[in-house]
Amino acid sequence: MNYLFRRTPYFRLFVSLTLPLLLALYLPSSDLQRRLNPNRLRSLRPLNSSRYKMTQDVEMKEVPAPSNSVSSTTPTTLHYLKEIASLLETAAYSKEVRRVVRAVRLTMAKRRKLSVSVLSAFLSFAFSPGSEAHTRLSSYLPKDDEHDMDVDTATSATQAPKKHASPELEIYCYLLVLIFLIDQKKYSEAKACATAGIARLKNMNRRTIDVLASRLYFYYSLSYEYTGDLAEIRGNLLNLHRIATLRRDELGQETLLNLLLRNYLSYNLYDQAEKLRSKAPRFEAHSNQQFCRYLFYLGKIRTIQLEYTDAKESLLQAARKAPVAALGFRIQCNKWAVIVRLLLGEIPERTVFMQKGMEKALRPYFELTNAVRIGDLELFRTIADKFSNVFSSDGTHNLIVRLRHNVIRTGLRNISISYSRISLADVAKKLRLDSPNPVADAESIVAKAIRDGAIDATLDHANGYMVSKETGDIYSTNEPQAAFDTRIAFCLNLHNDAVRALRFPPNSHKEKESAEKRRERQQQEQELAKHIAEEDDDEF
Amino acid sequence: MDAKLNELTQNFGRFKAALIRNDFDTAANLLSDLKVMLTEFSSLPPLYQDTPNAAKELEVARDIYEHAVLLSVKTEDQDAFERDFFQLKHYYTDVRNRLPPSTQEYPILGLNLLRLLVQNRIAEFHTELELLSSAALENPCIKHAVELEQSFMEGAYNRVLHARQTVPHETYVYFMDLLAKTVRDEIAGCSEKAYDYLSIKDAQKMLLFPSERELLAYINEDHPEWEVKNGGVYFQKAKETAPCKEIPSLQLINQTLSYARELERIV
Repeated sequence: MNYLFRRTPYFRLFVSLTLPLLLALYLPSSDLQRRLNPNRLRSLRPLNSSRYKMTQDVEMKEVPAPSNSVSSTTPTTLHYLKEIASLLETAAYSKEVRRVVRAVRLTMAKRRKLSVSVLSAFLSFAFSPGSEAHTRLSSYLPKDDEHDMDVDTATSATQAPKKHASPELEIYCYLLVLIFLIDQKKYSEAKACATAGIARLKNMNRRTIDVLASRLYFYYSLSYEYTGDLAEIRGNLLNLHRIATLRRDELGQETLLNLLLRNYLSYNLYDQAEKLRSKAPRFEAHSNQQFCRYLFYLGKIRTIQLEYTDAKESLLQAARKAPVAALGFRIQCNKWAVIVRLLLGEIPERTVFMQKGMEKALRPYFELTNAVRIGDLELFRTIADKFSNVFSSDGTHNLIVRLRHNVIRTGLRNISISYSRISLADVAKKLRLDSPNPVADAESIVAKAIRDGAIDATLDHANGYMVSKETGDIYSTNEPQAAFDTRIAFCLNLHNDAVRALRFPPNSHKEKESAEKRRERQQQEQELAKHIAEEDDDEF
Repeated sequence: MDAKLNELTQNFGRFKAALIRNDFDTAANLLSDLKVMLTEFSSLPPLYQDTPNAAKELEVARDIYEHAVLLSVKTEDQDAFERDFFQLKHYYTDVRNRLPPSTQEYPILGLNLLRLLVQNRIAEFHTELELLSSAALENPCIKHAVELEQSFMEGAYNRVLHARQTVPHETYVYFMDLLAKTVRDEIAGCSEKAYDYLSIKDAQKMLLFPSERELLAYINEDHPEWEVKNGGVYFQKAKETAPCKEIPSLQLINQTLSYARELERIV
């Protein structure tokens, strides 16, 4: 389930930003470049992945390492981070949330290039060495080889010590270290770091921190999820949600609500999840990614509680709204959507299963759909058995069990269309009902299908057969008109939504508008006063 | 603390004895005393403090609530069942790993599923079902309820009725009887849509009445629109009349007006 966390947030942007950067990194390593500028060789050294260690060792033998290595990537990444830091400072100064969002986005682009040396250098830049935050944060970082540390302390020593780091920067450092630890799979350190960061957050009430805080919450939950201890932090998350609500931190509320839903759903606590969801305050979504997740969780809850129509809507919307790059998330949405549509008695189109990159993952669901479409209980059973592992790992097993009833319905509908009169014994045989008394079962099943409006037929108990009614001309009813009406309503709604989406973001123009309005009103008042004065003159 | 625990177990013993004697009034009184006593233990939900006797106390408390559920079934009190069950549920979920598993767990969970089925709370039924592990679903008590729900949804009513003979636990009988009544109403509802006509004998068999008289009484009371004549039951009246050919003018006017309004907004 990592992709949910990993891929959705700014993934597209991340790819588009990292690709050129990665290319730029790889290029110097080519032979040509090395020959051209042997000094640049050191530039490969500080990358954290073990893959690079090999090449590094080999290269070390070829050329003796140059003593002076100021122009390495450590400073470039570091430089980049420093730019982000200054961006944050400006944001904190001018109280612009937009800049913080940008800082976080830029960080995600550099995520893969963080290393211990870069981080510790950055920490020394942000805080004066020996300060409380500095010692605490550096304690989470694993010890690197001494050589790196020497270089870093040397570079950081030249920096003018900062007097006071802004809270934004402090939280940003927590976030940075946390992301690094998670990427390094050091989950216990990550947990400790996240907990400390959140403890710091509780004393800070600034809107510019909200964005950073929501990311911090997210990685906090993620680090616990990796170690399988989600249940532990449920109380904390609820607490944080309450705090966020009190501070009117809407992004935080949104994120925390999703984390809580995820927390509940991973333990199948649908009841609690629904109770929380229905009582939590709702507002216009701030982040598309969080909204997608919310819709997905909502869809899941509604599916379990048999509100299939609503569930289908949420799941399809989630799948549509999700970024193209979030493949895992979209696959998951599609799986659930397929089942919900089957439960509703619809047959999803073939194109649903043929979407790019999803064919393999959706294969079991494709075969399942096929079985339901044909209405063959035997085939349905074999497929459910064949893929039972897939279904139980997807958590859809119980839903598949519910589908049995739909298979029977479809089979029955096929029979009712094909035959104008058929004996109940034959119905039982065709449906392959395996029960001690198939005819009686078939009779009551048919009776229920008739009452639910699945088929249009009557039963003759004395002779034991089912008579299908002639299907009437549908165009003589109001049905087409109603269908037409829903489509028109849909189009009009779409148009209205599009128009609404064109408007400016909330509050950004409020002041200007109100100033304009005031001017307008004053003008009108003046005119009115003039008119009255003139009228007064006329009367005299 | 120990003295309190001893008193609790003694009272619990008396309660159990009353339950076995089927002396429900005494049992109910003892039970409310027990519940009051339970509030004094800090190791129990919602505090879960780690006291020295915590495990023992939790176990006793769980035992008490299990018996409370059984008592509510015996006194046929569904509300009390729901209340007690929700109190008991914490012991099965939250402190699961601190206690030895209870033998009563699956029968009681199955019983709760059955209750939800009888009260036609299918959404909650499925929510509860999601909480169970695949091992739990294999348990005969749980399986019984799950299969019942399936047969019920499919419409295989005689399978539901047949299941009464194969109840996995004696306490299930009460809910199965309730279910039989629901099933009868369902069959009646289906029959009036599916058949034009049924002979009285068939109807009596289908609706599971022991005698013709009871069938007629049932028809009079619950389905006065059914017609009984010539030794048969006719459902003609219950079926809706042919669709009227009239144009729903008011609705059409409303729709057209709303289109006009929306179009105006666009242009």
